[in-house]
Amino acid sequence: MDDSVARFRWLRVPALLTVVGLLAAACGNPAPSTSNLAKDQTLRVNIQVEPNSLDPGQEQYAYEGAVGVSISEALVRVKADLSDVQAATASSWSTSSDGLTWTFKIRSNAKWNDGKPVTGADFVYAWQRILDPRLAASYADPFFDGTIAGAADYLSLDPVKDAAKIPAFLAGLGLSAPDASTFVVKLQAPSPFFKWIASLWMSAPVRKDVVDQYGSDKWATSPTSLITNGQYKVSEMVSKDHITLVPNTYYWGGTPTLTKIINYEISDDNQAYAKYLNGELDLDNVPLANTDLVSNDPKLKNEVKKVPQLTLFWMDYNTRKAPFNNTQARLAFSKAVDRASLVKNVGKNRWTAANFFIPKGMNGYRPDLGKTQDYDPAAAKTMLTQAVGDPSKITIDFLIRNSTANKQLGEFIADQLQTNLGVKVNQVVIDSKTVTTRLRKHDYQLYVGGWGADYPDDQDWFDIWMTGSGNVFGGWSNAQYDALVKKADVEPDAKKRQDYYDQAQKIMIDEAGGGFLYQRGYMFLVKPWVQNLTTTPIDQENIGDQFWSKVSIAQH
Amino acid sequence: MAVAQGAPSRGALLSLKIPRGRAATLTLYIIRRILWLIPVLFFVITITFVLMHFAPGSPWDKEGKQLSAAVIRNLNAKYGLSDPFFVQYLRYLGNVARFDFGLSFQYEDQSVSSLILRSWPPTAVIGVLAFAMIVIFGIGIGVVAALRQNTWVDYAVVGFSTIGASTPAFVLGIILIIIFSVTLYRITGGAFSLPTGSFALDQHLIMPVVTLATLPIAFIARLTRASTLETLRQDYVRTAWAKGLRERLVVTKHVLKNSLIPVVSALGPTFAVLITGSVIVESVFAIPGIGRAFVVAVSSRDYPMILATTILFSVIVALANLVVDLLYTVIDPRVRLT
Repeated sequence: MDDSVARFRWLRVPALLTVVGLLAAACGNPAPSTSNLAKDQTLRVNIQVEPNSLDPGQEQYAYEGAVGVSISEALVRVKADLSDVQAATASSWSTSSDGLTWTFKIRSNAKWNDGKPVTGADFVYAWQRILDPRLAASYADPFFDGTIAGAADYLSLDPVKDAAKIPAFLAGLGLSAPDASTFVVKLQAPSPFFKWIASLWMSAPVRKDVVDQYGSDKWATSPTSLITNGQYKVSEMVSKDHITLVPNTYYWGGTPTLTKIINYEISDDNQAYAKYLNGELDLDNVPLANTDLVSNDPKLKNEVKKVPQLTLFWMDYNTRKAPFNNTQARLAFSKAVDRASLVKNVGKNRWTAANFFIPKGMNGYRPDLGKTQDYDPAAAKTMLTQAVGDPSKITIDFLIRNSTANKQLGEFIADQLQTNLGVKVNQVVIDSKTVTTRLRKHDYQLYVGGWGADYPDDQDWFDIWMTGSGNVFGGWSNAQYDALVKKADVEPDAKKRQDYYDQAQKIMIDEAGGGFLYQRGYMFLVKPWVQNLTTTPIDQENIGDQFWSKVSIAQH
Repeated sequence: MAVAQGAPSRGALLSLKIPRGRAATLTLYIIRRILWLIPVLFFVITITFVLMHFAPGSPWDKEGKQLSAAVIRNLNAKYGLSDPFFVQYLRYLGNVARFDFGLSFQYEDQSVSSLILRSWPPTAVIGVLAFAMIVIFGIGIGVVAALRQNTWVDYAVVGFSTIGASTPAFVLGIILIIIFSVTLYRITGGAFSLPTGSFALDQHLIMPVVTLATLPIAFIARLTRASTLETLRQDYVRTAWAKGLRERLVVTKHVLKNSLIPVVSALGPTFAVLITGSVIVESVFAIPGIGRAFVVAVSSRDYPMILATTILFSVIVALANLVVDLLYTVIDPRVRLT
């Protein structure tokens, strides 16, 4: 067990050197050395919104994951380069030859923050709890009920009418702990992507005795009862103000350098920006509107760090309504938006243009597949006229969520469509909840939708365009696409799997299921004394927040 | 019995056996006004409940990743939203009667009462301090301006009121942050500056209180000035001057009390607004107050939180009006409460 600790430490050195090197190369600042650490190892960041819950079973938002990844540790965790997962609470795992049984070995020194050991039974309990319809966990469907053997009935199990059937349903799930250090999961179908589900912060273990003692809805509301197994634990929660984390002294991986992480809950961009300027925050997510200000400031521009995100946006066409029931019309619209200008003028060069679906940073990234949606206003207009007649007779209702950034994006797209196609675009700017309701009722024609990776596997992306998915509202459907994706999801051979996904992506782009626009990127200000920031394209609320344990604060 | 039958009874809820002293009348008046709150709250709850449920969007509709139909069904069952509208309404009324305001939909594991108890103190502290500033400075500079009408003092006060009344809080707040936090921090190298935001019982309070108080100070100063000017022209004030009283006596004894009547009626609602929180000031200064909590609740369709804060706001407004009515009897002897 000491071996794992040693290996962990050894891994840190090259990572640290890489980051130091990058920092030096990026800003020309003298590289901070580890010997001059500040006395106060406190990191102050902004998570913007107060988490609705810190119970792994109840979390669903990035501002919850921002704290969740540090305090709750799942079986495995992502590698920083997203190439694979790495050992976390489980020291090793194996898959049966049919791909249906996954066996995780829990570290013997994995401990909760009250000193008790983490056992396989804790995982069985946590996952059964997520699949209990009475908890109404947001991530139960499709991550857990779609993969675990016996869980498919979750869809039909009513928490009130079928209450009597629930205990038998939970007992019948393919989850077991043959001994304290083993956790066995049986799956419905071979699922190569299951390792990513095991890495999600909501699949972290939960302690039954704690939930029983304090109540399922209460245990996660106070630091004293919030017993978790991550590298950090919550020491203070001040509602709508901050959540403070300190190291979990029982953590298997030793003590991190940072002795305190203060997560402020500041929703106002200007307030957070002022706090960064005043040295009250160490990181600040630069608001889109401040991009030029920061880029032109002689001091601040050296503190800028840009990180691409696995988040991509597209024009969501309601294929149930004219003109978007016509494939050629959808393609014409997709060809009518100048992505290069969009990325430069609206995205302030923080975004990258994308006329394809799978973003850069994922296995399925194939920019060449986007050719059919290349910007070509003349061809687009001809195409639209041929498909549905005189464009000037077409009026499009364009649904936009009310925020400054969304309105700017909406105006740009509306202007492009009006100029390049000659259609009329009616921008409907309304509050977010109303927009979602109208989308779910399919009461719209055009909307800018998007997807952010839950985990960096193609399955997480391709499934949302399958017929009947609730996450793409436009209703595009293609039987060939569905068949290819279904085949790919369970294909163990990586090369074959990729080939199926590529074919599926081509079908969807060529039929313009959506008109793809851009991949989003982060722009952060980072104080020069924050060392060893390890960022990934799927960080939660702040860049580097999946790996706070590697960060240290230099003297300043 | 001293009262003859058929004599006009004063107040429907008055029992004639109770002695008729001034204090007793006042007590009964207060009790009656508080009892009136019950039907008022009933209507407030009913209207809010109906509007809320007809507003588009459910608490589970969100941006980004969508909850599946099965999860939404489970959430509806968990929070009682799968019952018919009328059943939900009656159950809510029953719960409110027992002072049970339910669980928040947004903060999945917290009761609405605890959320309100946590977010109200910062709002109340800032509101009360701002109110004290408004009373002292608003009335103070208003009276001084009237007494020195058409001098530079007067012009300064009028100028301040005009600017103060037309500067929105979010502009003033940001300007204060830029000057007293960011610029001062840069000039002094971090040695001295005011904190940019959040709540604590120290210098953190200065900028939010000033921001919150500026607009009402401007408004109350104008009101006080106008009302004082009018009083100064009254015959009884001229009489007081003629009797040779000193300025201090004329002002405190004769002018102030009468010129404050319209000011008091404006201060009541002002107080109610201040301690129910300003979402702008609370956002600009990142104060964990109830104004922000209410707006977040509305935009996330957190029904129990919306209802409970609306009830709280109604009670505060009603009580503030009651206090104003009581104060009238003190400053204006012509007013009689019945």
